[in-house]
Amino acid sequence: MIAVASQPSRLARISPWVSTLVRLLLAGVFLTAGAMKAMDPRASVNAVRAYQLLPASAETVVGWGLPFAEIALGLLLVIGVFTRLLAMVSALVLTAFLVAVVSASARGLSIDCGCFGGGGTVARGQSDYTTEILRDSLLLLAALWLVWQPRSRLALDTEPSGRRELEEAA
Amino acid sequence: MSSRRVRTTSRPSAQAQQAARLAAEQAARRRHDRRVLLGVLTALVVLVVGGGVGLQAWRTHRLPTAGPEVAVTDAPQPLRDGQPIRLGASDAPLTVQLYADFHCPHCVDFEEELGPTLRAAEAAGRVRTDLYPMAFVDAGSAPAANAMACATEAGFGVRYHAGLFANPTLQWSDAQLLDLAGKVGADADAGFTRCVTSDAKAGWVDSINAAADRAGVTQTPTMVLDGAPVDIAGLTPESLQSMIDAKR
Repeated sequence: MIAVASQPSRLARISPWVSTLVRLLLAGVFLTAGAMKAMDPRASVNAVRAYQLLPASAETVVGWGLPFAEIALGLLLVIGVFTRLLAMVSALVLTAFLVAVVSASARGLSIDCGCFGGGGTVARGQSDYTTEILRDSLLLLAALWLVWQPRSRLALDTEPSGRRELEEAA
Repeated sequence: MSSRRVRTTSRPSAQAQQAARLAAEQAARRRHDRRVLLGVLTALVVLVVGGGVGLQAWRTHRLPTAGPEVAVTDAPQPLRDGQPIRLGASDAPLTVQLYADFHCPHCVDFEEELGPTLRAAEAAGRVRTDLYPMAFVDAGSAPAANAMACATEAGFGVRYHAGLFANPTLQWSDAQLLDLAGKVGADADAGFTRCVTSDAKAGWVDSINAAADRAGVTQTPTMVLDGAPVDIAGLTPESLQSMIDAKR
C-alpha cells in the first residue's frame, strides 16, 4: 500500500472509479430488491417461510424487516459512508442469501428465491437455482472487491479508509 | 507511529511539539466525529427497520378499505360442491373460467387490470364468468375463499369479490372479513357472520380446489375463454376486449 501511494500504479488510479461503480451497483440491487419486497408484506413472509429455515415467529419479523434493512443498506451505500464496514455487511448478507438458496436446492425444495419480491413455493421444475446462485455469487464478489478497495469517488467517505476506519468504528 | 516518536523525542523543539499536539487533537476529533456518525447512522437504520416492521404489521392487521365501485347487480346464489360462482347472466353467449387465489400476487394484478373489462362484459350480457376461488397460497387464502362463498349465497358476492382483491396485504382474519361486508355496502347479518366464523363453506372450497385439479390447473390466475386457455402474460384490457368481441 505504501508503494502504491508513493508511485500511483494503474490499479491505484482506476480502482476508486471501479469501486464507485461496484458501490452503486450493490446499492441499486439492494434498493430495488428491498423496495420490491416491501410492497407486499404477505408475499415477503411467504417467501421466507418457503425456505423452512427459521422458526415461525422469526419468519414474520424477517419477512417484514429484511426489505427495509436492504433499503437502508442501499441508501448508505449510495451516500458512501463507512464503505468497508458496509461492504462487509453486504458480503455477510449475500453469503446468508447464497447459503439459503443452496440449502433449498440441496433439500430438494421447489421454491422461488423471492430475491426481488414474490417468492414462495412454485411448481416442481419451476425453480431456477442456477441463475439465483450465479447472481448471488457475482454480487458477493462485487462486495468483496469493495472490502478490498473501499476507497471510491463520489462518496462521503473523505478519510482514506482502510484498516483505520474499522479500528475507529470498533 | 514509531518514526514520529523518534522525531519528537530526539528534537523536542517547541514548534514541533505544538504541531504534533495539534495533529493529535485533530485526529482525535476526527475519530470522535466518526464514532458519533456511526452511532447516528446505526440508530437511523434501527429506526427504519423497526418502522418498516411496524408499517407491515399495520398493513397486515388493519381493517379493509371499500375497494372500487362495481356496476353489476348482485343476487343471492346458492352454491353446490364443485360448482363455481357465476358472475353475469347464465345465458350469456360467452363463458370464461377464472381460477384465482385471493392471496396470489399475480391474481391481484390480473383483477386490478382486467377485472373491470370482465365486469363490463358481464353487465352487458356478453360474458358469464365461472369463478373458482382456490385456496393454496397461504393461511389467509381459505378464509377469504370461504367468506367469498358466504357473500355469494348472501347476495353480495360481486362487490365482496372486488373488496377482497382491493385489500391484498390483509391476512384475512374473521374480523377483517366481517368488516369488509360493511365496507362494500352490504349488511353482515347473523347468517353471514356465522358462515364466516364457522368456516361453513370450507367443504365447498375444498371441492373447488379439487375441481381445479381435475381441470389441470397448475398455476393462478388461469383463464379459459370459450373452452380455450388464454395466455395471460401480456394481456391488456384492449386485447381482452377484442378477444371477447371476436367471439360474437
